[in-house]
Amino acid sequence: MKAYLESLRSFFVSLHLTVALLILSMLLVFVATIDQVNLGIWAVQEKYFRSAIVFWTFPDSGLALPIFPGGYVIGGLLLINLVCAHLYRFALTWRKLGIQLAHGGLILLLLGEFFTGLWQRESYLRMDQGETKSYSESFHAVEMVLVDTTEADSNRVVAIPEARLEEKKGLQHPALPFRLEIKTYYPNATLQMRNPTNPPATTTSAATTGAGLQLALIPIPITYKHNERNSPGALVELTGAEGSIGTWMVSLQLAEPQTFSYQGRTWQIMLRSKRTYHPFTLTLKKFSHDKYPGTEIPRNFSSLVQVKSKDGEDDREVLILMNNPLRYRGLTFYQAGFDNNDTTTILQVVRNPSWLLPYISCVLMFVGLMIQFGFSLAGMFRKRQRAATASATVSAPAR
Amino acid sequence: MRIPHLSAVVPFFLALSTLTTGCRDREVAVYQAPKDAVVTPPPAAEPAAPGGLPPGHPPIPGGAAPAAGAAMAGSDIQPQIAAGLALRWKAPAQWQIKPAGSVRKGSYKVVGAGGAEADMAITAFPGDTGGLVANVNRWRSQVGLGEQTQAQIEAALEHLDANGLHMDVVDVTGKGQTGPVRLLGAIVPHQGQTWFFKMVGPEPVVAAERAAFTAFLRTIEVP
Repeated sequence: MKAYLESLRSFFVSLHLTVALLILSMLLVFVATIDQVNLGIWAVQEKYFRSAIVFWTFPDSGLALPIFPGGYVIGGLLLINLVCAHLYRFALTWRKLGIQLAHGGLILLLLGEFFTGLWQRESYLRMDQGETKSYSESFHAVEMVLVDTTEADSNRVVAIPEARLEEKKGLQHPALPFRLEIKTYYPNATLQMRNPTNPPATTTSAATTGAGLQLALIPIPITYKHNERNSPGALVELTGAEGSIGTWMVSLQLAEPQTFSYQGRTWQIMLRSKRTYHPFTLTLKKFSHDKYPGTEIPRNFSSLVQVKSKDGEDDREVLILMNNPLRYRGLTFYQAGFDNNDTTTILQVVRNPSWLLPYISCVLMFVGLMIQFGFSLAGMFRKRQRAATASATVSAPAR
Repeated sequence: MRIPHLSAVVPFFLALSTLTTGCRDREVAVYQAPKDAVVTPPPAAEPAAPGGLPPGHPPIPGGAAPAAGAAMAGSDIQPQIAAGLALRWKAPAQWQIKPAGSVRKGSYKVVGAGGAEADMAITAFPGDTGGLVANVNRWRSQVGLGEQTQAQIEAALEHLDANGLHMDVVDVTGKGQTGPVRLLGAIVPHQGQTWFFKMVGPEPVVAAERAAFTAFLRTIEVP
């Protein structure tokens, strides 16, 4: 047992392991960079870096083979390696302080990236001038919502995540008076007018009510381009106690919900970007797009917003500028874009509880390296001085 | 470095895999949310009188679709299919407004001599919904005509430019069960959406409205 533990220790503290992991990470970065041509930056990050294992899927089949350790495994092992080596060789001396600090910073950097991958959530908030919103929307994720809009003051929302739509199964939820059957789901689909004389092949599963009576979903290849977004679509049948209520076609391209009544209540069905509601509202008072005088060159973009918390604590105006985001209740709002002839602002909303870690680790590494190099520099000066003194004493008699 | 004890690393791999793959959200969320702000439609040229239109009042411009939850006399609550800025228009006085149904932006009944009726429908959908050729052929099939090639369709197409909008105008006559059926249509791309203005009905009714249809198309504008 002791021998086993010792060999385990020597494995984890080994510098060979460090070198092997660094080579693996270089390979990973290289392959991921090349694959960015096919997948785009977001998908590459998810596939190579924010995963434990990199899988390769056989073309035209769902079979996935693990082919390479992902960023979490390489980074995780590197972290363990670093911590173990650190503890094993740890010696509390001033001479080693620089090394300790620099390594501590590196450990913190690795941890920071790990926590960022786990906890960071990015979304966007799009507001027209004068508009008030209490939610932000995901860049990538979608959800199908069934909204009971009967009450006058608020809506009751049942949000079904994309992962459940992909399964194409039945779904019964206690909050819904009907059963859902996801009949078709396409991760990316365009809309085409339905032709009465040439109905789509999937007539049996085609929509029987709502917008789908006129429109058909045509699946198209998934896009990985960073400036394009997939537009999922689905056919969903709702069934009540007395039988089918209807089959709806939902698509991200349909900007407004489809309304229907069931058992005296008014419902809306919609596929939309996944929403995150916040305990405060933002109102866009004014969007400004300043240009250098006499030119069309942009000088500054800014959004004047009113922040109002629901608990009544805050009600103030904030100016969000390009390099001056609003940090509020664990979220950071960056000025990310604009639209509609400078009357619509797009704010990027980032929730990253570990955002400070990289800054702290950089400071630690900087201080550590300064101390380390400082010691070396001082040592070199001392050596030179000694050499100079020695040569002076040696050469003195020759004069 | 000795590597015989890689097996000891396996639990670590497993833990990480579970941590990272188990994150995919599968939970159905249920919550109360504030009502979405109703997008105020651009002011119409002639706003609709509340509670219905007085006799002889020209039909309201269609750009001002009723806001969600606001019931318009005789019409269903209609979901607005296309996003973005709407178009508006002025329909001729003789066209009678009809309930718009679930996807129409505007709907009119056109009554001709002898009580024969044509239907005028206005819809808008995101994207190009299959393109010009597919849409014209879809319309052709609605009046019992066969498909045409792109060259044939483009040769028969009329073009109209009004108020900064380009319209492809289609005029086709086919055979219906009770006589010739004519379809007048205009396809108007606007801000990433395609708007369809279509009148279809017995040939004599539609023929009598040909000039009115063109005049109507000229009233379509961006608010």
